[in-house]
Amino acid sequence: MLDTDLLTKAVGDLDEDSVIKQLQEFAATNPSPEEAQKAVAACQSGMGIVGELFEQGEYFVGDLIFAGELLTNAVEILKPYLGGATSEKIGTIVLGTVAGDLHDIGKNIFKSMAEAAGFEVHDLGIDQPPGNFVEKVKEVKPEIVGMSGVLTLALESMKLTVDALRDAGLRDSIKVIIGGNPVTKEACEQIGADAFTTNAAEGVKICQGWVK
Amino acid sequence: MSDVKALAEERTQLLADVMAGRVPKRVPVCPTITYEYAVEYTGNSLFEAFWHMENFEKISDIICRDFYTDLFPMNYLRFPALYKTLGAKNWMQGSNGFMQHPEVVGLLEEEYDEFIESPYDCIMEKVLPRIYANLDTDPVTRSIVLAKAFKIFNDEFGNIGAVTAKLSAKYGLANVNLFSAAPSAPFDFVADQLRGFRNMMLDIRRNPEKVEAAVKAVTPLVIKMGLPAGPPPPNTAVFIPLHMGPFMRTSDFERFYYPTFKEMVETFVKAGLHVLLFVEQDMMRYLDHLNDLPENTIMWFELGDPKLAKEKVGKKHIITGFYPVTMLKTGTVEQCVDKAKEILDILAPGGRYFFNFDKAPLTFDTAKPENLKAVLEYVAQNADY
Repeated sequence: MLDTDLLTKAVGDLDEDSVIKQLQEFAATNPSPEEAQKAVAACQSGMGIVGELFEQGEYFVGDLIFAGELLTNAVEILKPYLGGATSEKIGTIVLGTVAGDLHDIGKNIFKSMAEAAGFEVHDLGIDQPPGNFVEKVKEVKPEIVGMSGVLTLALESMKLTVDALRDAGLRDSIKVIIGGNPVTKEACEQIGADAFTTNAAEGVKICQGWVK
Repeated sequence: MSDVKALAEERTQLLADVMAGRVPKRVPVCPTITYEYAVEYTGNSLFEAFWHMENFEKISDIICRDFYTDLFPMNYLRFPALYKTLGAKNWMQGSNGFMQHPEVVGLLEEEYDEFIESPYDCIMEKVLPRIYANLDTDPVTRSIVLAKAFKIFNDEFGNIGAVTAKLSAKYGLANVNLFSAAPSAPFDFVADQLRGFRNMMLDIRRNPEKVEAAVKAVTPLVIKMGLPAGPPPPNTAVFIPLHMGPFMRTSDFERFYYPTFKEMVETFVKAGLHVLLFVEQDMMRYLDHLNDLPENTIMWFELGDPKLAKEKVGKKHIITGFYPVTMLKTGTVEQCVDKAKEILDILAPGGRYFFNFDKAPLTFDTAKPENLKAVLEYVAQNADY
């Protein structure tokens, strides 16, 4: 029998050996889809602890990357047992690194934390022109658009992307969050985004607040 | 003596004083402006400009003419011609033409032992062909590709060096070189070019001993990258852009990053060089470590608390940066000048400071030229210690 609290704690502690051992033992019992889903939820709660420790300054970006890897590996072990069981989706996010910027480490961290929090994330990739955001928003009708960038030149691309969403008549039906090293309150206002953050955990919290 | 020569001497003295820890007559103004910014400011296209480096002088001249500076300001990093020739995966143009570094993996996890045993051979045989696709071929073609690449490299840097000297003489700019070489700290070298940012963060948990050994093994190579062939001219600094520290736990930084980095800085200082660190992101957690470096290390801070930095490293070292360059995009002229006043009031008293932004404006849309001009003029005319 799986002790979900122990699993959550091991994920929160980033204790990879313990997480993998617990899940392998659990998998050996040939769990039902419902049981496997509970194990996924326990891992996702552990990801929540990681986010909190990051916000408290106990953990750093490297820990978030490792946590994302840990969660991916955990879900790999559980996948064969999940069957049709899926966790409840709390919202949809269209995510991408904006035009001109090839960086994606921050975006990927945000993505894995948002997925762990229950969002369905459509990741466009890097260096995405405004038109690709517009098309994807039309297609999947998300509640939220997340734009990422590391270089200061990303700010102008973010503005052009928001402008394009507005021109397509989509801006009022979505919330826009921007993230990455160069974003500031002033930049957020100029870009016309609803929120900004340089902290993936905080970004996920903002998104959770929007879909409550 | 001509006015312009006297001006150059005066400016050289300002910076020489700062670099030696003496209080100069006024705060030197040393902005770094990317060539990309200059290209677009002068109405040229990024995609074309880097293939026509014969225009470097003309374009740089306009920047020197239009913006106040005490030191040649152009910051040029990467030439597409060089990296295209190599088939590079570690430096690429974005859709806007801006050259940048995507995440790459040059060294596989299972190659750590081989790397530790002989880092140079492993870089030549395994890493380079993986990062530079055009070197992944037969030895004859590879040697031709490499020869072409070095021809481009030498031609471009030769041209830049000549233009730097010529325009510095024309505008009476300081005879100081803050970027004589740009080696990475040993840990950053392994992270950025060999294992990748993401893998490195996994490796320090899964293979800590190997990471430690690889960082030690590469240290003599990166030190060699920074050392000049002969004794360096006065007022020459080697530039070390710090990268991974802020993303690591302090205990990991102390184990994996700091010892070899400190050794590197100390070696450069012993060789008669100054050291300019780009202190990327927020490294306020590491101010005590930075303060432990040899006296008069120049620290170009990006983010963090200027007051705290001044207090903790400002008596022993030299500070620059901290001015948020994004203000030049989002602020009014008045707000931008006010920000300069605020930064100067904190960092200038007592000396050991020169003016620069927290990072260079990248492309033209990242900084309004009227803001950039106003701030530089203000600092030049008003900044005493």
